[in-house]
Amino acid sequence: MISSLTGLITHSIDAVSDTVSEAFFEPVVRLGVTGLSRAGKTVFITALVHNLMEPGRMQRMRAVQQGLIRGAWLQPQPDMTLPRFDYEAHLASLTGEAPRWPQGTRAVSELRLSFRLAPTGLFGGLTGPRKLHLDIVDYPGEWLLDLGLMGKSYASWSAEVLARLPKRPQAEVFREVLLNIDPQARHEESVAQSLAREFTAYLVAAREAGWSDCTPGRFLLPGEMAGSPVLTFAPLPGSEGKRGSLWREMARRFDAYKAQVIRPFFETHFARLDRQVVLIDVLEAVHRGPAALEDQRRAMAEVLAAFRPGANGFFTSMLRGRRVEKILFAATKADHLHHTQHPRLTALAEALLREARDRARFSGAETAAMSIAALRSTIEEQRSHGGREVDLVRGRLSDGRQVAVNAGELPEDPSRLLLPAREGAERWLQGDYGVMQFAPPVLSRVPGQGLPHIRLDSAAEFLIGDRLV
Amino acid sequence: MENRGPILIELDAAEAPADVAAAPEVDAPEGAAMQAALGSMARKRGGGPGSWALAAGGALVSLAVSVAAWDFAARLIERAPLLGWLAAVLAGVLALALVLWAGKEALGYARVARLDRLRARASAALVAGDLTEARAVAAAVAGLYGAEDRTLEALDAEAVIEGAEAHLLIALDARVEVEIQTAARAVALATAIIPLAFADVAAALSANLRMIRRIAEIYGGRPGAFGNWRLARSVAVHLMATGLVAVTDDVIHSVAGGGLLSKLSRRFGEGVVNGALTARVGLAAMELCRPLPFRMGRKPGVSAVTATALKGLFDRG
Repeated sequence: MISSLTGLITHSIDAVSDTVSEAFFEPVVRLGVTGLSRAGKTVFITALVHNLMEPGRMQRMRAVQQGLIRGAWLQPQPDMTLPRFDYEAHLASLTGEAPRWPQGTRAVSELRLSFRLAPTGLFGGLTGPRKLHLDIVDYPGEWLLDLGLMGKSYASWSAEVLARLPKRPQAEVFREVLLNIDPQARHEESVAQSLAREFTAYLVAAREAGWSDCTPGRFLLPGEMAGSPVLTFAPLPGSEGKRGSLWREMARRFDAYKAQVIRPFFETHFARLDRQVVLIDVLEAVHRGPAALEDQRRAMAEVLAAFRPGANGFFTSMLRGRRVEKILFAATKADHLHHTQHPRLTALAEALLREARDRARFSGAETAAMSIAALRSTIEEQRSHGGREVDLVRGRLSDGRQVAVNAGELPEDPSRLLLPAREGAERWLQGDYGVMQFAPPVLSRVPGQGLPHIRLDSAAEFLIGDRLV
Repeated sequence: MENRGPILIELDAAEAPADVAAAPEVDAPEGAAMQAALGSMARKRGGGPGSWALAAGGALVSLAVSVAAWDFAARLIERAPLLGWLAAVLAGVLALALVLWAGKEALGYARVARLDRLRARASAALVAGDLTEARAVAAAVAGLYGAEDRTLEALDAEAVIEGAEAHLLIALDARVEVEIQTAARAVALATAIIPLAFADVAAALSANLRMIRRIAEIYGGRPGAFGNWRLARSVAVHLMATGLVAVTDDVIHSVAGGGLLSKLSRRFGEGVVNGALTARVGLAAMELCRPLPFRMGRKPGVSAVTATALKGLFDRG
């Protein structure tokens, strides 16, 4: 308790001194890229940085239109203890001879992109070119889910997880193990170990099967914490335990997990964001069916509840710390649909994140929703199929085959998908959706033009455009 | 709702791979320059304490200037009567010119208002089937253009109005259409070629204002500077209220079918859409300035006008 208080205070002091220096010297924009595992955070960051450095395809940014960006370069990041985002390696894997998507992210990394901007405004001629730093953090999406745990007690978390288990076939082994365990028995480390092992196995299997909500996230990617007591717990039934019991010990570890794993992660990377983009792969969830969609909705709602949106005034930001003042909800993989369907995809993503959007708007933050593709991997075309013209997207699958696909028609009213999902429908009423996994395109690149994308320029304009002009 | 389910077509290996880098952007251009120009046309000027302050300040300054001029002339008359009287005469000429200019502006305003009134009277006469009123309107329109009224033998209101339209307005309509096409072409080219932000907005704005003035002149409105702004504002407000500033598919199709736009580069696509929006502005202005309502399907369509205007401009992207 005391340590978390002092931590908070040191943190606030840091934040204040940072804000003072930023307000007067070199402004920094901290962009939070939020998204569950496989939402495409790494590709988004790579494509954004590449396109900002070679802005030929960013015509919808005012700063690009007006030619204000004199230069952009990747700086060593300000945080001494974090590795640098491996931009070059990710770019190489996306643009090589045989392009492939980057591997899943396994650790936190950071990057700072610095702009040199032409002077604008009344005193522009006096001050000369301005500088602006854009800080972006990449991290495993699995860990993001943990933010939803911060406000929960061990008992309530256990109850939620256990209620979920029967719906997931991957949990069968763990449930059997659980039957033979008495939560009120004396704590024995070997029992705890085996329980945690089974629980972890279940989480890994559930994530493989595409479920979104697989907390705690560190169990999936433990890093150097593997095997430590803080990662050796599992949900148990019941609402409290006797002193020295297994239940009590598990609850103690859960609290330690919250205090020593989640909180530092949140405070160093999320508590001081200015702008936030929420990437969400709705299409994949729709493809997997109603249960996956509802699961994704709930997971995102819990995660987004941890953030503090709101407007930043000059003084308020110094006093109470910064708040996220602009949030973009971006449905990714827009290139998997023909553009006539993009408004429907956007509406679906917006409806899915409705709670978070309303909360952000109420507290004064600006929000927007878009369908984007950070790296466009298909082109659009029309072909006749079954006697009529259909809109298709054409691209390359990871096995090298070329296909033209229509993923199925999204409904105009998003509640036609969200309501059945909430009510626990088994499958979609209107038929199926088939979403393919396209590989990155083989590109014929032109100097000065970044990676091809869909609406990445509009997204960047919304997120940081006002700070560049 | 019908759901057609997913479709997967596997392609021959022989087919050329998709060149994503060269693919056109998926979003249709939105005609940013024209939207901005219309926005500034529709903006209401004046009103509120700011404009009172401006008006009071202006009055104060002009009072000070006239008193100073009076003193200057009076003192000059004492010193050198000849020069003094010259100054007085010049001041008088200046005042007279200002009064005349104000009168001309007012007259231009009144002329535009007269066109508006005539059209309203014609519509009312058509609805009521009022022959005397229709004849009066036809005579007034004929008087406007200094032509003789040839509709005396017609015996019902519709025939009178339509006769007057055929006799008096068809030639003018053709001139107006040419004017609109010229402006649409100019805006399309300017916004496609000028690389500076705001400069393209300025170009679009000036071309549109010029076009609106020319249209009013052709129909006999001859608005002054203020009348023209007023007219531009009502055109822009009318377009916004009816939702005609949105870039819908017909704007794009009007150029030469939907396929063309996707072949154009983004910049030329913007040019095309700006040109098409200019044509819409022109047609709305035409409707507002014409002394008689459109009858017998004489109203030109946006698509036709735009297509003629932009033909040959962007044939190859």
